[in-house]
Amino acid sequence: MDHLLTLLIFTPLLFGIVLLLLPVSLRNSFKYLALAATIVQLVLSGWLYFHFQTGASFSGINHAEQYQFAEKLSWISLSLGSMGKMQIDYFVGVDGLSIGLLFMSSLVMVVAVLASWEIKTNLKGFFALFLLLDMAVIGVFCALDFFLFYIFYELMLLPLYFLIGMWGGVRREYAAIKFFLYTLFGSVFMLLVMIGLYFSVTDPATGNHTFNIIHMMNPANYVQGSIFSTAHQTLFGFPARSLAFVVLFIAFAIKVPVVPLHTWLPDAHVEAPTAVSIILAGVLLKVGGYGILRVCFSIFPEVATAGAFWLGLLGVISILYGALNALAQTDLKRLIAYSSVSHMGFVLLGIASQTTEGISGAVMQMLSHGFLSAMLFFLVGIIYVRVHDRYIYNFRGLAKLMPAFTVFVMIAFFASLGLPGFSAFIAEAFSLIGAFTSASVNGLLPAWMAVCGSIGILLSAAYFLWTLQRMFFGETRLSGGENWRAALTDLNFREKSALIPLALMALIMGILPSLVFDKINDSVLALVHLFR
Amino acid sequence: MNELPLSITEQLNNILQSILYVVPETALAILFLLVIITGLLLKKDADRFCQLLSLFGLVFVFQRDVQQLYLILSGPKFLFNNMLLLHHVSIVFKLIFEALAFLIVVYVPLDEQLKVHKKGLSDLYAIIIAVVFGLHLMAMSVNLLMIYLSVEMVSIGSFLMVAYRSENRFAVESGLKYVLFGFAASATMLYGMSLLYAFTGQLDLFNGQFLEQLIHLNPVPVSLAILLVLTGIGFKLSFVPMHFWVPDVYEGAATPIVAFLSTLTKIVGFALLANFLTPFIFFSHWTAFDFRLFFSAVAILTMVTGNFAAILQNNLKRMLAYSAIGHTGFGLMALVTFSQQGVSALLFYLLVYALANIGALMLCSFYAGKNSMLTVQDLRGLGKTYPFAGVCFVILLISLTGLPVSAGFNGKVLVFSAVIEVYRQTHNIWLLALLVTGAVTTVVSLFYYFKIPLYLFLKSAENETELPAEKKQTFLLIIIGLLSALVLLIGIYPGFLSDLVR
Repeated sequence: MDHLLTLLIFTPLLFGIVLLLLPVSLRNSFKYLALAATIVQLVLSGWLYFHFQTGASFSGINHAEQYQFAEKLSWISLSLGSMGKMQIDYFVGVDGLSIGLLFMSSLVMVVAVLASWEIKTNLKGFFALFLLLDMAVIGVFCALDFFLFYIFYELMLLPLYFLIGMWGGVRREYAAIKFFLYTLFGSVFMLLVMIGLYFSVTDPATGNHTFNIIHMMNPANYVQGSIFSTAHQTLFGFPARSLAFVVLFIAFAIKVPVVPLHTWLPDAHVEAPTAVSIILAGVLLKVGGYGILRVCFSIFPEVATAGAFWLGLLGVISILYGALNALAQTDLKRLIAYSSVSHMGFVLLGIASQTTEGISGAVMQMLSHGFLSAMLFFLVGIIYVRVHDRYIYNFRGLAKLMPAFTVFVMIAFFASLGLPGFSAFIAEAFSLIGAFTSASVNGLLPAWMAVCGSIGILLSAAYFLWTLQRMFFGETRLSGGENWRAALTDLNFREKSALIPLALMALIMGILPSLVFDKINDSVLALVHLFR
Repeated sequence: MNELPLSITEQLNNILQSILYVVPETALAILFLLVIITGLLLKKDADRFCQLLSLFGLVFVFQRDVQQLYLILSGPKFLFNNMLLLHHVSIVFKLIFEALAFLIVVYVPLDEQLKVHKKGLSDLYAIIIAVVFGLHLMAMSVNLLMIYLSVEMVSIGSFLMVAYRSENRFAVESGLKYVLFGFAASATMLYGMSLLYAFTGQLDLFNGQFLEQLIHLNPVPVSLAILLVLTGIGFKLSFVPMHFWVPDVYEGAATPIVAFLSTLTKIVGFALLANFLTPFIFFSHWTAFDFRLFFSAVAILTMVTGNFAAILQNNLKRMLAYSAIGHTGFGLMALVTFSQQGVSALLFYLLVYALANIGALMLCSFYAGKNSMLTVQDLRGLGKTYPFAGVCFVILLISLTGLPVSAGFNGKVLVFSAVIEVYRQTHNIWLLALLVTGAVTTVVSLFYYFKIPLYLFLKSAENETELPAEKKQTFLLIIIGLLSALVLLIGIYPGFLSDLVR
């Protein structure tokens, strides 16, 4: 029982190695092997979720002993001559911020494997990279040592580069390198801040410098006069801690993505194969949101408070800009990509409010968007695989042709636009409540930001309903004629079995949000407490 | 001027004592002679015997180096009347030389362009051993005269190596360029040295008189003399603006020779620079020439020039040449910390860079075959033909870029750590500028390094029929595989290597 998280992280790697050793003649079994890996992971994370204990003594955040399923091993100990040793631990554990994301990621990974049935070439490479990515993603959510976190964070890039670049669409090479460069640009500077933090923080027990994220949250652990100590140190004339916050925020904002750092996202999504789009939208964007909470806000709470207005403003801009762009798209996948930008804006707005409601809403939105965006991209993939076209105006009246498909599209669309009863409604409502109450609770965000956020919901209703009307209602008219009509068969068993769990999750979380809120509440309270 | 009465017996005693400390160098000298004689005596199998002899010899020398670590437990040791200085760092440098030279001797006959050479390869092994001998001296020399001698020893050997393959016009041109620039650089350095000698009456850098004299002089001519010396060292290191010879020479020379030049002679440049700078850095009254400012500016310039110029290259070896210049800049960043930690970070960085770079050049040999002008476009679609080689290439490139999990990433972390720690103590703004440049050029380097996987895997071959036939270079592939595995292993467990270079 002690090694459950390790098992959870490295299960995909284990299956990946087995997969690499299998001969190519067994290529038809590769997808089942990957499916087995993700299902094992889902069962494990499900078990973790239901055995995750709640209560004030399990809130985590800045208390190492309150993390659950934690594991700590000494990993690297690099000698630095006169400065002692660089001690890096394999330190993993979960609290309320990560437990939900672990379960959500595991489920999305299963769906992504189901979506990769469409991959026909070089299956060994695809699934090996897929499993490597899976490992890295789960590792990021579990890591509590900054060095470990960074390694998993960077390790996501390489498989994604190849997954987009080798199995993607026409402009895949451009999209892949753009994504890689963007993210690396954010993370190399994160590396510098990470090392700076290392030399600023000591472990109170041993007195050595440490990469432990939890120790970094306690101002008492900072060395007097170090670069990021609470005293007024400057870098290039800027306060050092503010600069560090900005650097880390940019790194994670690229991942979220926050406007104006979002331009890699539409390209990457449009060119990526369906399975990779699902992972990108469902899981990777959450790494950004999670990083902001776990690293930026927890380590530099006072800077987060000081800059809350600007963070909220970026959130609002993302919501509106994403939604307006989505309205203008004619490619269905691009539309959904921009809707992701818009929906992730609520995460930032909720976080920026620094209220219990807002942060709970943000975490909820991450989970909800994880399931819903996976569903949306899966649905786009279904059309694309059948006719290799996603242009909205090339389709009309699909409801008559593919009734079951249309039902799922309607569920996904209505859930995403915030229909009460679905998870996104709860999530967005709480984010907005947070933004509204912020003015009276801590005075960080003006009320007009919440109003603008609401307009974003309105816009999302507009583009989703308009798309529904354009593509699914009316007489069936297809630009591909009879060929398309024959190709556009309704959902098969595999597709249904991928969509039903996602739809159910969105529904359950909408009806019984306490299933999630109970688990995250203590951690959110502890986090909000950090800001005081 | 020389008031110290040195008796002959004292000098002789010193020399006799010093001989105990130069066992590896003596062994190398004997090995050199043995390889030459073997090459002359044996006609038919000369190549193979010379190679085996060199390999065994290098292993023996390596083992002697390890023993030297115990000889200096009591502290650094000056040899031959302060001509050479044997200390921990120089021994680690020597160990690195032996290990890398071993790799390169293994690699030489595996390159198809060198293999078909009509003179045979036995002479080349002898030259390599002779150059390694010179590298040993360079890493230890602390006397201006000795520095010059050892630099020339290495240079002449390198000239021979570059011009070894002279069947095409391009190789001759690159050889000639190297010789001309090399001699000009040496002459400049010699001029600087003679000025320093004229100012101080001393050749011994570690003699207290040397610096005492210098600080009483007008800083302008002193700085000029030092600049001239640094020009010569800079030629070996190939930092900007002394880098212009690199791309042409790397393009024209045989690939294993490029592997030698881009790793061993570059690393020894750092060793020499460290030796040369040490007395200045630890002399508290030194104000005439700000080494940190100078090398910070040079490092920034080198990183930017090397990495940005590499983007424009299509020829694979030229691209690696410019990236090697970029790596020099990064190494200089570790050096300007002027701290013990910086030096161990530098050693770690240089070693992992060398491993990955030799591996990458081996892959160039592998893909090139007899095609001496391998461009990135030639790699189109080859990742699917040779998946193993392709995956190894990606691993080595990750390490060169400095992404986790790879040895190169840990090297980068160590260098950054050293610089940040020294910044914390000194608050020197140049160090921050170096850090930012290092981070930005990492992203830039990704752009050109990943052109290779782009062509290997992402682009498919234009017409399937043109694929070259399956190559029988299993041995080369095994070595590449081992290097890649090593790079990954050091990435996951850097501890054992970092303890070694401390």
